[in-house]
Amino acid sequence: MATERQSSRGKRWLTYGGLGLCGVAAGLPFVWMLLASFMTEGETLRRVLLPEQVQWANYVLAWKEADFGLYFKNSLIIAVMQVGGTLLFSLMAAYPLARIPFRGREVVFVVILGTMMVPEMVTTGPNFLLINWLNRHSPIPWLNNWPALTIPFMASAFAIFLLRQFLRGIPGELWEAARMDGAGHLRFLLQIALPLCRAPLLTVGMFTFIGSWNSLAWPMLVTNTPEWRPISVGLQQFVSEAGAEVHLQMAGAVVSTLPVLLVYFLIQKEFTEGISLSGLKA
Amino acid sequence: MKKIPLREQAIAWGFLSPALLVLLVFGIWPIAYALYISLHRWRIKQEAFIGVDHYVRALSDPGLFNGFKVTLFYALGTIPAEMVLSTGLACLLFNILRGKGFFRVLYFLPYITPVIASAVVFRTLFSPHPSSLANRFWVFWGFENQRWLYENKSAVALGLKALGFSTYPAWVDTFFPSLALVSVILYNIWVYVGYDTVILLAGLSAIPRQYYEAAEIDGASPWQSFCQITLPLISPTLFFLATVAIIGTFKAFNHIYILRTPGARDTTDVLSVVIFDQIFQNHNSGYAAALAFILFIAILVLTLVQNRVLGRRVFYGD
Amino acid sequence: MRQTRLQRWLAWGVAWMAGACGSASPPPSQPSPDEVDPQGQAAVFWYQHTRERESALQEMIAQFNRENPHNIQVKGEYGGSYSHIYNKMLVGLQGGSLPQLVVAYQNQAQVYHSADGVVDLLPYMNSPKWGLSPEARADYIESFLEQDRMRGIQTAFPPNRSMEILYYNADWLRELGSDHPPQNWEEFAQFCRRAKAQPFSKAANPQRAVGYLLDMDASRLAAMVFSRGGDFIDPAQSQYNFITPEAKAALQLLVELAAEGAVEVLAEPNGDTSEFGSGQLLFAISSSSGLPFMKRAVDSGAKFAWGVAAVPYEGERPVVNVYGASVVLCRTTPEQQLAAWLFIKWFTEPEQQARWVRASGYFPARRSAASGLGAYFAENPNFQIAYGLLDYGKTEPTAPGYETVRRLVQNAMVDALDGAQLDPLLYQLTRSANATLEPE
Repeated sequence: MATERQSSRGKRWLTYGGLGLCGVAAGLPFVWMLLASFMTEGETLRRVLLPEQVQWANYVLAWKEADFGLYFKNSLIIAVMQVGGTLLFSLMAAYPLARIPFRGREVVFVVILGTMMVPEMVTTGPNFLLINWLNRHSPIPWLNNWPALTIPFMASAFAIFLLRQFLRGIPGELWEAARMDGAGHLRFLLQIALPLCRAPLLTVGMFTFIGSWNSLAWPMLVTNTPEWRPISVGLQQFVSEAGAEVHLQMAGAVVSTLPVLLVYFLIQKEFTEGISLSGLKA
Repeated sequence: MKKIPLREQAIAWGFLSPALLVLLVFGIWPIAYALYISLHRWRIKQEAFIGVDHYVRALSDPGLFNGFKVTLFYALGTIPAEMVLSTGLACLLFNILRGKGFFRVLYFLPYITPVIASAVVFRTLFSPHPSSLANRFWVFWGFENQRWLYENKSAVALGLKALGFSTYPAWVDTFFPSLALVSVILYNIWVYVGYDTVILLAGLSAIPRQYYEAAEIDGASPWQSFCQITLPLISPTLFFLATVAIIGTFKAFNHIYILRTPGARDTTDVLSVVIFDQIFQNHNSGYAAALAFILFIAILVLTLVQNRVLGRRVFYGD
Repeated sequence: MRQTRLQRWLAWGVAWMAGACGSASPPPSQPSPDEVDPQGQAAVFWYQHTRERESALQEMIAQFNRENPHNIQVKGEYGGSYSHIYNKMLVGLQGGSLPQLVVAYQNQAQVYHSADGVVDLLPYMNSPKWGLSPEARADYIESFLEQDRMRGIQTAFPPNRSMEILYYNADWLRELGSDHPPQNWEEFAQFCRRAKAQPFSKAANPQRAVGYLLDMDASRLAAMVFSRGGDFIDPAQSQYNFITPEAKAALQLLVELAAEGAVEVLAEPNGDTSEFGSGQLLFAISSSSGLPFMKRAVDSGAKFAWGVAAVPYEGERPVVNVYGASVVLCRTTPEQQLAAWLFIKWFTEPEQQARWVRASGYFPARRSAASGLGAYFAENPNFQIAYGLLDYGKTEPTAPGYETVRRLVQNAMVDALDGAQLDPLLYQLTRSANATLEPE
């Protein structure tokens, strides 16, 4: 008995020790970013380890200089729209790909996957031309406005693929049982499949949020004015030819990272020890 | 084969239509347009139609072959390591009793830290300077200071040098990744392990508790549980991760470009970087589009092969 | 003498390329600007400036909008960094929308021109009604305008420039036995060696002492080659030529000093600024636009006396590498183009130039701007010293494909420092560089 407890304690120490050590490596960039955001410019140039005084002024300056309030709001609206659209449309698309054996299903799946396989820099040009065309021919402007920043991203092959995997994993008996109860596809999707997909939906939502929040190249291309400029573009303000003002850049980066961290922290609580199927057997 | 009722098919297409519309307009159309570009001489504006000239040229372009080689090294270096590390990490983070939330956030940090910050940290840690952490660690074990991201000689060549071989055949440099590339690989593993782990955590949390409970009652060991319950039931997620990893590493750009140094020469130029250079340095959009298409075909083939080989092993529960 | 041969060479190279590219048709002709009325036009200006430079620029734009007699309204927009702007222009040229004015490097301007995206500025400069007076025209530093000229077409206009200069730690030099910056490369090498042996007394880390940190960049090598009286091109042959005694001498010196540890390879972005500021680096060679940054580094670092000078030279006079981004006039409508020209003309008037210099730290393109800079010179003596060197300016090649050649030069520098034989290396470099001049 005693040896068993000892060995399990030893194992626990090993586990936590290993996790902690690797965790240090994992957390290092964030810690450095945090420390640098509190340094003066001189301290960042002299590569000191810790700032002498906490320079809260960096945050104030970064917020004002880069009009962060506006950019924050823009990033938030854009991210929420992208997440909403992606979750809805991708779940809808994943369902038939997983559970309805229609004609051409495999081809459609491969085509959808195919959209992920081309490097962005080559599709950016044609997409921009398309946006310009839409800008000229649609009632609402697309450039410098929310449509160009959100609509192209409202369906994601990545999301469709992940959700399809999960939906395929739902046992066939559940579907048979629902069928016998007289449920159609829509009811099955909403009442049975959706709750089971909580984890992947949250995951997709979070990754979409992060992708949207950090995305730089596309917003840079489709916004010229500050109105709809997101925070990722705003952060570029601190990079100039004479060298980046690292302390301000890092302050901006920390502010920009906090919402992402928050979202992740809230989400990961949902990844619990595994769902219980017992209630559904009835 | 059973004939599928029309109503079912209509429902299927109905569900698919919004996403399909977006993807066709903003995903497929640009690809088709890029194909169109690749068939013309196209520096900035469309010029003459030249058919497959770009493709023919690509077949004898040493830059393209180097790009493929570097990308292959990169994929082989990152994917297996990431999958193994993230699976282990996910299982650990799922089962430990204390500090679950804290550790999960900690391991995800490299992925959400803006690239500028994580790249600067990595460059500092792996600086060629003798005082950098990597060099101090390396010297501690009795080796020489390395130039890390600035080293275009292969890691194997350096190993041979350390063992005392002052000369070695040239193929040692060509057929093994450079130290700079190894450093870039380390950086990317560091960044993406957290990302893979999160996806696996989602997969683990979809496994019904009852299965584990039943296994325990039957007297199964943790390893047996893992092999017979966990692995099969997260295999759809693992398959997803492997596919996404292959597509992602072959397309990878940002986290590699930011670590590019003059000293590394072209040993860290993955295909996306080669394409990028064609557009922004050589101002040749037509040729770049052709290269992108070749890359696309390569990824497509790899994905289909992987689908065939691994797809059968995936357990879907029905 | 050299200049006209350079022009001929550029004309030859570009004509060959343009013809081979298939865009052999002449660009659509422009109506003479004299007939055009710019009244009430709007012009958009894309720039890459941020923070203080952007605020100053926006203020100047607002002033122009208020004061100009034609009610022209200019709108300045931050377009991102140079590469972001270039990206936007590439897609804009394909049928999107173009701004009226945009910042561009010489090779980018040439790319835009080859796609008929920008107009020739000479008709505007020479227009009797809207152009420059002969005095104004003479006031511009000719070499700047020439840098932006190609085959007799003024593709871009220079609002400002920067140059490669030598930053030196004066206090440390004194400790090493000299009271003036190195005049030639032999002195430079001598003091690099001495610096390595004798660290600076006020250095943050007394163990660390380096003479010079080499940045693997074509502009650095260009500065070293130019200052020895050499060049990257061979005017007689109208091609690139690196098989020159100057290029070899430059690389040889670096290799020797690196072997002794007196010169190291730059290993982090802004590493030279940070080490210079900490008193660990004796010499730095980089752009004059980094002067304020260097000042801040020293003031928050080891706080010592420092100065700038021309890069060490052989011969009677210094030769400095001058470069910088210009502004191009995009092909939109004749009215908008004229409006944009009027803005850039106003922006490069001496008064505005002096104001822009004060805000940005760039050098002006007009000599008479100096008369408004008395106070600025007094506050920034180093800037004044560098300003005095403008007449000795020389520019890197501006042929199409030079971007690729820069990368080739960079690779050659890496190989040289890795121990490659210099003669075959320079031969191979010349061959590869000249391959970029050939039509595709």
